[in-house]
Amino acid sequence: MGYDRRKFIRDTLSAALGGASLYSAFGQMQLLQAAVRSNYRFAAGDYKALVCVFLYGGNDSFNTVVPYTQAAFNGFYGSGGVRPQLALNRAQMASTVLNAPGGGTGSPGDGIQYALNPTMAPQAIPGDATNKSADLASVFNAGRAAVVANLGTLVRPTTQADYQSDNYALPPQLFSHSDQSNYWQSSPPSNLPVTGWGGRLADMVAGVNPPGTPILLAVNGGDIYTRGQDVNAYDMSSDSATTVNFLGYGNAGNGSGLCDPAGAYDPGAVAAFCNLQAAGAQANVLERTFANSMGHSIATAGIINGALAGAPAFNAHDQFPDALSTNYDLDTQLQTVAKLIWAAATNQPGYSGLSRQVFFVSTGGYDTHSDEIASHGDTLPLLSRSLAGFYNALNSVGLADKATAFTCSDFGRTMTSNDGGTDHGWGSHHFVVGGAVNGGKFYGNGCGFSGASGNFGLVMPSLINPNVENSSTGYSQNLNDAGDGYGRIIPTTAVDQYAATLAKWFGITDSDIGLVFPNLGNFSTKYLGFV
Amino acid sequence: MHKITGSLGFALAVGFLSCLFGAGQVRAQALSHFPDPIFHDGYNGFASTGTANVRADDAARFLAQATFGPTDADIASVRSLGYVGWLNQQFAATPTYEITDRPGKVNSAYLNWVQNVLQEDVGQNNRQEAWFQGALGGKDPQFPTNASYNHTDQLRQRVAFALSEILVISDQNPTLAGYARGMAAYYDLLIKNAFGNYRQLLQDVTVSPAMGEYLNTVGNRRADLSQNVHPDENYGREVNQLFGVGLVLLNLDGTPQLDGNGKPIPTYGQDTITNFAHVFTGWNWADCDKNYDYPNNAPPVWNGTYSDHFTDCFSPYQEPDAFLKPMIAFDVVNYPDPGDPSYHDNGTDAVNDFAHKQLLYYSGAAMSAGESSPGTLGPGGSAASDLAFALDNIFNHPNVAPFIAKQLIMRLVTSNPTPAYVARVAKIFNDNRASSTQLQAVVQAILLDPEARYGQFHNPESFGKLREPLLTLTHFWRAMGAQHKCGNNIAATGNSSASLYANQPYRYAGYGTAWSTGQSYAWGVGVHQAALDAPTVFNFFKPSFVPSGEMSTRGMVGPEFQIATDSIVASTNNTFASYALYGNYDLAATCDPSDDFGDVMVNYAQDKALAGSANGGSADPSDRLVDAYNIRFMSGQMSPFMRDQLVSYLNTIDSTWDRPNGTDWRLLRVYRALYLVLTSPEYMVQK
Repeated sequence: MGYDRRKFIRDTLSAALGGASLYSAFGQMQLLQAAVRSNYRFAAGDYKALVCVFLYGGNDSFNTVVPYTQAAFNGFYGSGGVRPQLALNRAQMASTVLNAPGGGTGSPGDGIQYALNPTMAPQAIPGDATNKSADLASVFNAGRAAVVANLGTLVRPTTQADYQSDNYALPPQLFSHSDQSNYWQSSPPSNLPVTGWGGRLADMVAGVNPPGTPILLAVNGGDIYTRGQDVNAYDMSSDSATTVNFLGYGNAGNGSGLCDPAGAYDPGAVAAFCNLQAAGAQANVLERTFANSMGHSIATAGIINGALAGAPAFNAHDQFPDALSTNYDLDTQLQTVAKLIWAAATNQPGYSGLSRQVFFVSTGGYDTHSDEIASHGDTLPLLSRSLAGFYNALNSVGLADKATAFTCSDFGRTMTSNDGGTDHGWGSHHFVVGGAVNGGKFYGNGCGFSGASGNFGLVMPSLINPNVENSSTGYSQNLNDAGDGYGRIIPTTAVDQYAATLAKWFGITDSDIGLVFPNLGNFSTKYLGFV
Repeated sequence: MHKITGSLGFALAVGFLSCLFGAGQVRAQALSHFPDPIFHDGYNGFASTGTANVRADDAARFLAQATFGPTDADIASVRSLGYVGWLNQQFAATPTYEITDRPGKVNSAYLNWVQNVLQEDVGQNNRQEAWFQGALGGKDPQFPTNASYNHTDQLRQRVAFALSEILVISDQNPTLAGYARGMAAYYDLLIKNAFGNYRQLLQDVTVSPAMGEYLNTVGNRRADLSQNVHPDENYGREVNQLFGVGLVLLNLDGTPQLDGNGKPIPTYGQDTITNFAHVFTGWNWADCDKNYDYPNNAPPVWNGTYSDHFTDCFSPYQEPDAFLKPMIAFDVVNYPDPGDPSYHDNGTDAVNDFAHKQLLYYSGAAMSAGESSPGTLGPGGSAASDLAFALDNIFNHPNVAPFIAKQLIMRLVTSNPTPAYVARVAKIFNDNRASSTQLQAVVQAILLDPEARYGQFHNPESFGKLREPLLTLTHFWRAMGAQHKCGNNIAATGNSSASLYANQPYRYAGYGTAWSTGQSYAWGVGVHQAALDAPTVFNFFKPSFVPSGEMSTRGMVGPEFQIATDSIVASTNNTFASYALYGNYDLAATCDPSDDFGDVMVNYAQDKALAGSANGGSADPSDRLVDAYNIRFMSGQMSPFMRDQLVSYLNTIDSTWDRPNGTDWRLLRVYRALYLVLTSPEYMVQK
């Protein structure tokens, strides 16, 4: 699949424009989109949304999805095990055990039962003595959430020997936050300009959506993921779109959000403002770029707030109860996304005709170098009730199968600890949630606790385990290595496979998938089947 | 002193003229969106220290790069002193510290005054107030009538802020959020070293407890294989990636070196980071040593029962002032304490240590005696000597000069400097490696470089940088004579739970400040940026950020565009709508007696006379006001198109616009002009 998407775009554009430069005028951008969008047709009522939930900092998924079977638990957390300093309380995990649908062990095929970190259990709701919050294990056990094991950034399948050999293609700057979160979101970041796969998916389907209505939305901050080649993300606050107040004032409250002096209290001021902001005329490239940002903001905010205005509150106890609301973090963001999905799927006025949308939400606090148990106590409960609440909210209005939410993070963390915390690693486990998910199952190559004892029982593994500094002391090679040891796990499933599975559900055809994920052809399995 | 010869000035002028004439025909239609193409002879003031006759617009442009925004007074100062004269004045100005008292003047620093005299609990809002004292300059709230306490160190403050966006800590870290004074102490070390030596800055940053907490050096310990415990790599990674050498090998001009396949070459590998992590072990809070009472360098006040203070010490909860002192190495004698060497990996523990730590490898890198590979640290050092070796190893890497020089250029002058500009500044960095005023030389080289002074003519379409939202706010407040006003004097109660603000003039205090800066992300207003309030160690924006669209096509970076999101551009706009468009927060307004806090108020009336002298309308045109704002805010770079838009609209305002509440129509011209200028794309790009 060596076909370069940028080249594809350029070729198409050149054919359409006779080789005119890409950004010489806005009108030509419309032609470019037309060339891409003609591929896709979706039936009326066929609405789907992909929701990327990015966990900034690199979640320690090895303390998020953990072995519950007693022997495996002991091997992992017990004295002489992998992580004696990060041990969780097994008794508290009774309510977060992952069962297979209809019973069974819910194991990834290794005969071991798993559970979620005990802080992900249902939470008490202040002022509500009867009910508890939504939780992720329940959604998993209802068959609407899945675990995809040991995912990570890969150029091609990589073994320990591959890693150690010179000149094997690896993602650049492993273990660096910025580079690895960029890779997760762009996969790969090598094409210039760098685009995200959320943005590229939006590019592909731009044509089946009404122009002007945002199909690529970053809630509480965008990133590389929301960068399309053609489609600009709309970047909104956690609970609403920020409007340019002056225009409401200037337009005597008509609220259109458009730069229209007609009927304004002070039409001259509005006209001057709009003339200065008009994108494209400025002499300097940076000025034009800023004017584009303002213009995009002005044109879009009213559309979003209109869509939100009529939506259900989604604040039931098993959705996003007000008493637990953070007001801006992941719960609020996913509540807002659920509202926008409702508005699109029900064709609300001013927001109708949408058939595909891409959302990006995010939260932080996962860079647990120290006090990891306590840090996870802050972050994982929010993740659990937010993902589950999102499913429950859409399920309450019959739209659960319209949206698939999935987690991403910079990287996994080291199996070893640094006295209460963990360091930057590579592979990690992730969650997929939605009515279309073939849930209650594990995908990928197992969470891995049935391996050889010499490898702490880990199978997922491929613990990177190269040159040994202190081999003469007789210590295990994994224990203290200046190379790449410390229990950094080589991913056994690539981000591209995870993403392509989601993209296929989203409607991207097999013949186009390589345009979005140019390295996908390096892997024998393109689609993992979890949705 | 860096002198520009006459012949160079001549060459620049010729280059500019040919450029001008080349573009002239394109621009000769309607009203141009390019700045007025008047021939500038700014090089006259270039190397002069005397009466320099710097043009007002050139002076304003220089100050836009060197300060938190030009004021009329500073423009006049640069015009009379010349660039170099003004720089020398700035290099000599008394530093404004947030929490470091002047010698012999107890509680003279703002936060000490707040804590010890006003007896308020210092929090993050107070830290922002302290920051605004330096960033906005002017009189001190404690000594408003003593000019020797006026804050005049704009350049130092501006450079310190730039450094705070490279050597990042943040109050978004939950622990640091509770220790505003410790964060102020960190900012003070950036202020202290802003004109100093970068190696010293790295030293101070590395042993700062705020950085130690932020990137986990505090309490970092040697490996304990019996527990499968290893040293934390957070600081070892970021001190290289962000504060030191960067990810790929650079040429002196800041461009990446390429291998035979045209790929960038990594500066280091994971094993290098692991080795650095093992070096940065054995440090902890200054008062965690049970035998050390640091304030008095005396026997301990410690009555605790911990047996192992390195791993059990949670100092800030016992003694917050530990945040004001550098971390201590546990392996040395502090007071009559033999020291405890068991937490630093000095290479002598055959099981847990690395005997030979390979740090950055490069030609000429220093190595310990007996080692054979450049950049290798051998066994037997102390925590302090090993840390010094590691920081020397970073500082002496050839990447540091272009890596840091380019970022400082980007923070002050332009997002896309030419490689030649970077190389000139990097050379100054290298030439002054041993100097205690290394960064002073670097800053001077950045600001006096021909590209800084003339780049807007060489590359008019691409020169410049997007203004940071916070810097638009400081610019507005400085240019418009802002002061804190109103609020009620709350008598000091001695009760540390009292949180009300005692009102003082010149105190950029409280809720209004927080409202306008970083704490308001969910409110739809505010600039979403405050000092030491970045979301991550990667700052508010990354130096490599490429905005989508035209800049991407042209291969240009635009770091500040990372926070020019749909929501932030709207809320920043709304901030100026509130301040400027609606004329809120007028210094001349009567205080509301029920307002306990007061706010930052703007002196709109200072420009009333510029706005008109008769009855307005086109017979009493707005030209003088627009031209004044063109200089003060836009360095004379307002295009004829924009000037026409402003003048034409503002001329429609006349005396019939007087409001029943007494607002003069001339103030309406001021309000509307400010709003239209401060939100305009032409203003938002400093060029």
